[in-house]
Amino acid sequence: MNDRDPRSTEAPRIESDMAGLVAADTDVLEAAPTAQRSVAARSSAQTILLRFLRHRAAMSGLVVLSLIVLLAFSSIGFGPVPGWWGLDFRVPMPLEDGGRPTLQLWPFSLGAHPFGQDNIGRDYFALAMKGTQQSLIIAFLVGLVGTAVGTVIGACAGYFRGTTESVLMRMTDVIITIPLLAVAAVIAQISGGVGGVWGLGIFLGLVTWTGLARIVRGEFLSLREKEFVDAARSVGASSGRIIFRHILPNTIGVIIVAATLAMSSAILLESALSFLGFGVRPPATSLGQLINNYRSAMGPRPWLFWWPGLFIIAIALAVNFIGDGLRDAFDPRQDRAKA
Amino acid sequence: MTIHTPTTAGRRVREDLDPVLEVSGLGVDFRVEGEWVTASRDVSFRIMPGEVLALVGESGSGKSVSSMAILGLLPRNARVTGSAKVRGKELIGARPAALRAVRGNDVGLIFQEPMTALNPVLPVGFQVTEVLLSHQNISPEQARERAIELFRLVDLPNPEGRFDAYPHQLSGGQRQRVMIAMAIACDPVLLIADEPTTALDVTVQAEILDLLRDLHERLDSAILLITHDMGVVADLADDLVVMRDGAIVESGPIRKVFGHPEQTYTRDLLSAVPHLGAEIAAGTLQVSDRAEEPAPAVTPALDLRNLVIEYPGRGRTPAFRAVDDVSFSVAPGEVVGLVGESGSGKTTIGRAVVGLLPVTSGTVSIAGADIAGLSKRELKPLRRRSAIVFQDPAASLNPRMTIGESIGEPLLLHEGLRKAPLDRRVEELLDRVRLPHAYRNRYPHELSGGQRQRVGIARALSLGPELLVADEPTSALDVSVQAHVLELFKELQREQGFACLFISHDLAVVEILASRIAVLRNGKLVEIGSREGVLLNPTDPYTKRLIAAAPVPDPDEQESRRAARAIALAAGADADH
Amino acid sequence: MRVFIVRRVVVSFFIVLASTALMYVLVALSGNPLQDLLENNSPGREARIAARTQALNLDVPIPGRYLLWLQDVGQCLVPGGAQCTLGLDRQNRAVLPQLEVAIGSTLRLVIAATVLALLLGVVTGVVTALRQYSSFDYGVTFVAFLCFSLPVFWVSTLLKQYIAIDLNTWLRDPEMTYASIVLIGLVVGALWAVVIGGDRRRRLVVLAVATLATAGTLTVLLNSGWFQRPTFGILGVGVVSLVAAFLWSALFAGLRPRTRRVLYANLAAALAGTVLVAVAQPFMADMSWLTFAVLAVLVVAVAVAIGWALGGHTRRLSAQIAGVTGVTVVVLMSLDQLLRSYPTVYRKTGGRPIATTGSETPNLNGTFWETNLDLVLHLLLPTLAIMLISFASYTRYTRASMLDVMNQDYVRTARAKGLNERTVIVRHSFRNALIPLATLVAFDFAGVLGGAVVTETVFGWSGMGRLFTTGLQQIDPNPVMAFFLITAVATVLFNMIADIAYAFLDPRIRLR
Repeated sequence: MNDRDPRSTEAPRIESDMAGLVAADTDVLEAAPTAQRSVAARSSAQTILLRFLRHRAAMSGLVVLSLIVLLAFSSIGFGPVPGWWGLDFRVPMPLEDGGRPTLQLWPFSLGAHPFGQDNIGRDYFALAMKGTQQSLIIAFLVGLVGTAVGTVIGACAGYFRGTTESVLMRMTDVIITIPLLAVAAVIAQISGGVGGVWGLGIFLGLVTWTGLARIVRGEFLSLREKEFVDAARSVGASSGRIIFRHILPNTIGVIIVAATLAMSSAILLESALSFLGFGVRPPATSLGQLINNYRSAMGPRPWLFWWPGLFIIAIALAVNFIGDGLRDAFDPRQDRAKA
Repeated sequence: MTIHTPTTAGRRVREDLDPVLEVSGLGVDFRVEGEWVTASRDVSFRIMPGEVLALVGESGSGKSVSSMAILGLLPRNARVTGSAKVRGKELIGARPAALRAVRGNDVGLIFQEPMTALNPVLPVGFQVTEVLLSHQNISPEQARERAIELFRLVDLPNPEGRFDAYPHQLSGGQRQRVMIAMAIACDPVLLIADEPTTALDVTVQAEILDLLRDLHERLDSAILLITHDMGVVADLADDLVVMRDGAIVESGPIRKVFGHPEQTYTRDLLSAVPHLGAEIAAGTLQVSDRAEEPAPAVTPALDLRNLVIEYPGRGRTPAFRAVDDVSFSVAPGEVVGLVGESGSGKTTIGRAVVGLLPVTSGTVSIAGADIAGLSKRELKPLRRRSAIVFQDPAASLNPRMTIGESIGEPLLLHEGLRKAPLDRRVEELLDRVRLPHAYRNRYPHELSGGQRQRVGIARALSLGPELLVADEPTSALDVSVQAHVLELFKELQREQGFACLFISHDLAVVEILASRIAVLRNGKLVEIGSREGVLLNPTDPYTKRLIAAAPVPDPDEQESRRAARAIALAAGADADH
Repeated sequence: MRVFIVRRVVVSFFIVLASTALMYVLVALSGNPLQDLLENNSPGREARIAARTQALNLDVPIPGRYLLWLQDVGQCLVPGGAQCTLGLDRQNRAVLPQLEVAIGSTLRLVIAATVLALLLGVVTGVVTALRQYSSFDYGVTFVAFLCFSLPVFWVSTLLKQYIAIDLNTWLRDPEMTYASIVLIGLVVGALWAVVIGGDRRRRLVVLAVATLATAGTLTVLLNSGWFQRPTFGILGVGVVSLVAAFLWSALFAGLRPRTRRVLYANLAAALAGTVLVAVAQPFMADMSWLTFAVLAVLVVAVAVAIGWALGGHTRRLSAQIAGVTGVTVVVLMSLDQLLRSYPTVYRKTGGRPIATTGSETPNLNGTFWETNLDLVLHLLLPTLAIMLISFASYTRYTRASMLDVMNQDYVRTARAKGLNERTVIVRHSFRNALIPLATLVAFDFAGVLGGAVVTETVFGWSGMGRLFTTGLQQIDPNPVMAFFLITAVATVLFNMIADIAYAFLDPRIRLR
């Protein structure tokens, strides 16, 4: 999660042939809409949805992510709601077959311990599901808090300029000199005692807003010079109205995309922190914490290492693809004209 | 092409020779979102050696696409059919190597925007030698000499010194001269000039047109001129091809098409073009007897006194004085045209008048109230006295708000109107700009450019302002659309009687609307007076230059104007020395 | 330029000051440094608490402690005067000597990863942009997204556990079945086919040729025992140099009659470089960085001189490309020497050359080349692990930037001038596409440093990551602050270099 995240660059990424066509000739600028005239009845929201639904990678990402969320929350239940998987992740049980996974793909059968058992006999499926739940919660919180903070700071820096902007930008200058992982480690250490997983998610959100703030600021800087903003100012609209009614709705696509990508980075950040011992601490668990716990057991019990790792990758990859699809959907310049 | 009399010496069109370019049945389609979209179809024309053929049309007519298709310069999602032959060599479907041998060598290209068409990180001299070295077997030293010679040929000042300059260090006109030098480097038989002067100011445009004509006569290469500007066509072209929606509507020698257009579209198009001097000649607006300054008893709608506006400097860059000591006023119900080239400060004044820019010193009084230096809160009640219509209708409407919301916003903010009363007022305003009520729920991208500008006007008029600032309201529109919007504007002004500060770079447009004209240059007011006074008897030399430089859409008149301008320039040059 | 650097140094000083102050306070607040002592009921607890309070100045409020730390740092700036320690850790040991040990290995890792990721990423990005919407493009896009989604520590563990062990086992007895040789050949061939592209026929030809060449080379290498005693030999260096000289000339100057002299000059430069290297063979056995540098400069200088002398009309261009050829010769020579010392290193590391722990083999006592080969072999896996994300970033970013530039008007102008594709891409597109990349490198650097912390933990390096993690776990600010000081200084330095590079690439930017 660098400040300049290449997955969410604001650099003019004219990738589509359509854009090439616009750049090539002023005439075609008007010629292209003639083709769209037939679909003009569609609202822009519908167009965006349609583009997103057509994005194959994003749709597979969405399916994978939904399945993982469904599996994680339905299997062992969440809070007071019980799940369909009977075993408790805290209870050690006698080892069966050395704790090897019993999952069979063909013919499909779960067996007693589909993901195997850990070295003291706890059901690893239940543990992995618990870890997935926790990691998802943290990622979601980080995304939410980071997006909220980043949007407000970026909007203020971009709209008000002057002192507000320079203070905020100097702040960013200071923050980029510190590796995110290191500052997150320090923050996680502070928040470790406070509020467990929820506290960690919120605290991490408070340090991961810088990338988003930059992007939002960039958007605001260009939008505030647009004539429709001048039009609103010339009739005396207040700053609040201009920010929230006029500019923000036009940046919503960028923010959604950045928030999505922030969540995928948060999954990786959490796991790295837990791995270093600064993130989620026992008895609480998370996917990164699981890998850290069983790192030494990797030789004899490789599945303890593989399952949480695969889940991290699957979640992060799915979210990244969703983010890519959202960007393509919101930003028609990126529309791939698949011939 | 039919034979017609040569216009000037050296511009003989030789029918006995083979055509330089022969296009037949050319069609271009683009693949957009999985569908084929036709950009042009069945385009046929030919250019004889030494001929200047103009391809004209409004946006979307396919004129640029067709010319780019000839040299295979379209993006990958384009499909080109038909035939285009340069000196008998077929180019459509030719091998890349064959195309490369033609590009830059047999055919030179000049693009619209010289800033983006030149590579920003390479010196301009290098960009010219590059063409020479890739087509001719000469040494870099010879290429350098030749490039400097070319720079001299296109009248680039200090050619040796400019050789190592980067594009951003040159002015717009100089960049276009470099572009032309590049295009003529290998003595091409054909020059394709795609809107060569559209991005330039009118006085620079005149110079570049002179240069093109001069080069055309000296080098004797044919020119394919692509433009939307009838004045430029009248100035330069021998023959004319009119395009619309990707197809040719009419073609023929320029005097024939201008004088006796056969097609309705051509006739409408030509009549829609504002013609400098035509309004005065017709005497439609009887304002010539109006006083130079409004009578002191009446409070002017707008009164500027010693207005100075500076853009603050940053770090070591000093503050930039965009408007310097400008004073004039607009009487109630009067339309004053504010004319100037880019950088003259005309838009800055317009924005300051509606309170979008802070005033450095001086006063800006709107209906008697000075708004200079007021706080946001103090300014708010005064804001309803003035309103602004912006240049770009696409950018001036919030894409995420419906048309109704945009028009209703001032009413909501100033009169607190909501729901039904607001709806009623919005409908009224839509009626006034001749848009159907159903448009209220549409979004800007669902409207055409002209419709969007009507919405912009409706929004500006929503609070019944005493003063309307119109900042180039039609310069982003096509000629025929512009004519309709101007017509509507005139009617509304007559009905509502608001005063108007009409900002434009186009003297012919200002002439249609304004009773008085103010001319700005580099932030200073150089001349102000009645329309007739300024246009017929300008006193300031800059105003004279400006008027002389504006091309008119009539080949004969333009020819005599050009001659007059040449004499005036020569006289001016003598006077300077 | 000088004014710019002075201004930037002053601004950077304040940025580092602010960031260290912020981090000092956060680290000091991150826990109670007396925690372990308070929980422990052994006798003498009070005395140890007192001792640690004394060592960490816990009786001074946090801002005061920061000032004390600043004072320790400040002493390092005073030449000669007071002693420079960068503060003491909680065992009362000076931090500076610990940092000196740590910094070398970490910077080696970070710089190797950044440079490799940049080179590979930019090349891959350009190729994907040129082959937009091809199967290669889609493949690389998927790989890039996969890299974005891989946890660094997980990959590191995986590499350590599987790649290192299996590769070491294989290297002990390097043999392959014919099936695997053919398979590797096919994979490499397919890759070339999609990279080079073209119509179906051309792709099939490329596939066949590349498959045969790869499989053939592998067979020869395996049968000749090359993997036990690898070397290029001086002949190999010469041949590869000549090929490289040809490629560089073709890429940067083109193979038109007009630039024929560039090609000849480069071939001559490559030959002369090889001869020099051959002559210098006796000196190679016992080299130091100084003699290496002398040799390298000599080879490049000779190459440039030959390029200039034989370049004719195009002597400037020719000399520039000959410089690149000279560097290539030096790189090839170094590779050759490193490979030659492989058998010794193999013996000294007990037959497991691909290292999985530490940053160097202790007590190696090798020659210049042996020591460096040992370092390279230690760097191999950690570098691979942390460069994945950077590589993906550079690939995506270069691709986007390149596609953007290729849609610009001036590229169309270049085509309209009748320039060939090579010139349009190399001179007009690539140069402009590089400009936004300059800033990305600076941003990426901090990320790579963060990745290094994780990787060092996995591979058991006693680098700066160790300094940071143990310091933070023990709430011992001074070692942690040493880490932050180095990262902050390195980042502002990188930023400044990036800005200078930016101005160098883009004449519109003036450094002020």
